Amino acid sequence: MLDLFPSREAGPFGRRLKRERGARIPVTVVTGFLGAGKTTLIRRFLASAEGQGTAVIVNEFGAVGIDDALIRGAAEQTILLGNGCLCCITRTDLQLALRALVIDRERGVVPNFARVVIETSGLADPGPILQTFSTDRALGGEFHIDVMLTVIDAVNGEATLKSAAEARKQVILADSLIVSKSDLAAAAALDSLRRRLQQLNPRGGIDIAVGGALEPARFIAPATAERSGFVAEAEHSDGISSFVLERQQPVVWPAFSRAMETLIALRGGDLLRVKGILNVAGCRGPVVVQYVQHLAHPPVELQSWPDQNRDSRLVFVTRNLREAEIRDLFAAVEALAKDSA
Amino acid sequence: MLTKDESPLTKGYQPVVWNFKLLAHDMLGGFGGMGEGMSVQMAPDGRRIIWLAHESAPKNFTAVDVSDPRKPKVVCQTDLPHANMRSNSLETTGNLMAVAYQTSKKDLKPAGFELFDISKPENPKSISFFDCSGPHSRGVHQLWFCDGEFVHCASGSRDFVPTNPNDDQFYRCVDVRNPSKPVEIGRWWMPGTRQGDNVMPPPRHPIDKGYRAHNTNVYPQHGDRCYLAYIDGGMFVLDISDKANPKKISQWTNSPPYTGFMHTVVPLFDRGLMLVTDESTENNAKDWPKLIWILDARDETNLVPIATCPMPDHRVYAQAGRFGAHNIHENVPLPTAWQSDQIVLGTFFNGGLRAYDISNPYQPKEVGIFMPPAPAGAPTGTIQINDVFVDERAIVYAVDRHVGGLYILEMDF
Repeated sequence: MLDLFPSREAGPFGRRLKRERGARIPVTVVTGFLGAGKTTLIRRFLASAEGQGTAVIVNEFGAVGIDDALIRGAAEQTILLGNGCLCCITRTDLQLALRALVIDRERGVVPNFARVVIETSGLADPGPILQTFSTDRALGGEFHIDVMLTVIDAVNGEATLKSAAEARKQVILADSLIVSKSDLAAAAALDSLRRRLQQLNPRGGIDIAVGGALEPARFIAPATAERSGFVAEAEHSDGISSFVLERQQPVVWPAFSRAMETLIALRGGDLLRVKGILNVAGCRGPVVVQYVQHLAHPPVELQSWPDQNRDSRLVFVTRNLREAEIRDLFAAVEALAKDSA
Repeated sequence: MLTKDESPLTKGYQPVVWNFKLLAHDMLGGFGGMGEGMSVQMAPDGRRIIWLAHESAPKNFTAVDVSDPRKPKVVCQTDLPHANMRSNSLETTGNLMAVAYQTSKKDLKPAGFELFDISKPENPKSISFFDCSGPHSRGVHQLWFCDGEFVHCASGSRDFVPTNPNDDQFYRCVDVRNPSKPVEIGRWWMPGTRQGDNVMPPPRHPIDKGYRAHNTNVYPQHGDRCYLAYIDGGMFVLDISDKANPKKISQWTNSPPYTGFMHTVVPLFDRGLMLVTDESTENNAKDWPKLIWILDARDETNLVPIATCPMPDHRVYAQAGRFGAHNIHENVPLPTAWQSDQIVLGTFFNGGLRAYDISNPYQPKEVGIFMPPAPAGAPTGTIQINDVFVDERAIVYAVDRHVGGLYILEMDF
């Protein structure tokens, strides 16, 4: 297409976008263990000015849709995906629900919603939900996950994190962590929980929900690849670790993409989430890349850099895959590419 | 078919703002019925002024200081000499402005265009008037003036007797290098529309809007071409390398089976593409579908339509006022105009302002909607967004046809 109708205005990755999501519908995914306070948080958001025009998709594990009943009335459109966990048996339901929302909006039979909030069941593994938006071309073209929030109960949170691998994964993969019920927890317990959350996910900011409510802007602020406070490497339980690769020299795209292809081919299953902002040689703006296991989102070139920093930053959340191994792979591929050039 | 209860219009016409941010709205002192002339001037004192043509009398044109797009300020608003005329179109180049005058009936005056010195925006001074009146003429409906040298316009003239009264306006090129003495240097009309032509007059369309010129765009990238929309005659590419003798290179029309009224042609030179719009002129979408067409123009002698910009279900909108395509941002070749061959911004009356990503021209994708609530006093009970202009800062200006005045927006995609 670009060959037939080339444009000097477009970059190698197509039209340069003002922000990563372009014109797609923003999605907020809310995860959190059973009883953590997800529904309350969503209800409070829907009641705020920022929450107007939000469609909500509720996924419940169980036959009776209690959360759906609590939310209905506040949202523009509520869809209940019952009887299963979003991450496994009902992923198709999520796809169908989101597609139906877009079609109904086009037909004018549902109001023009501006955002979708997905409340996952407490047991959901967020990985497959992230994957859904990469695998389904129709969904990836219409929707973009702006932010994934994980809600942690201040009273029971630490115990839950100890006992439930799903809860740990929810925390590790989150863009932002919300501590609920803080008024019911002792100060020492809250501090201890904070420390544990920071260990698990040093890049995710921690917010305290007061009375079940969160500053609405935090609910919808798009996650950025370069979260502040990121530490060099964090070793988590379950063999999961996270680290950031940074480089000052512009990235040569063919070498970078070859390295990522190799990594995906060999260890795709262990790339839980990779997100980065790259200074690609030949591009005017930064290029945002995202990978979830074996899947790569189409790279997006932004119109401008968010700040003065022009370094490339790539955040990895991996399982049984160490930073040194990935650094070595990138170095080897780059050296080979340079030699061949 | 949606029932009335299901239609967003009858539900109170829910406004939709999607990926646009409204910075300001100005009702222009209660005279917010705006036409299709929008042009941005950088005044000698550094202010940024947008000049706006009115849809109908009593106002002629309005100038708004938009240096701060969040705080627009009307600095000038002028009156027409009488109610049986309108100044639907205008353009500025530097400190010169050309304003089109069209009368409601033939043989009225003033019919033609007027040139103004706008170096002091509060006090535009008339330089000259180019008379286009005549027993068969309503004067000038639209004009194009971007180089400070030539006005290209859709105009009648005293010596032009059309074969059908609806076909009175044709393409005229007027030399204004001496702005105090404009001189016509060339003209072209569709063969068969002037008495004495040696071909038969063209067949009339069921909704007869006339075989006459509308937009007359000329761009410096290809200064020897005029991209001429010709209402019921479709559109033409003219060779104007000899301005005294324009020659047809090609014609493309969608009507029949469509319902005529081709309005604007915008070439996207780098990409070998062309945007062509229809205008919806009938209330309740009776002339549906009115569309923005994308043409493969790599060979200008063989224009091939490859897509149209997708529109929402017209049944939802067919119940109040006009609904369908009209104007688009035309990449006016001036430093104060935004240039894009990736994004198309178009106005759709009660469908509001819509933006399309045409990076893949075979699959244009809607990326933004601005459909504000009906302004107070709107005769159709809905918004009727009429025209759009984008300045080089990417600030978007849209106007309502009846009462709503000026909306200033930011693109958010």
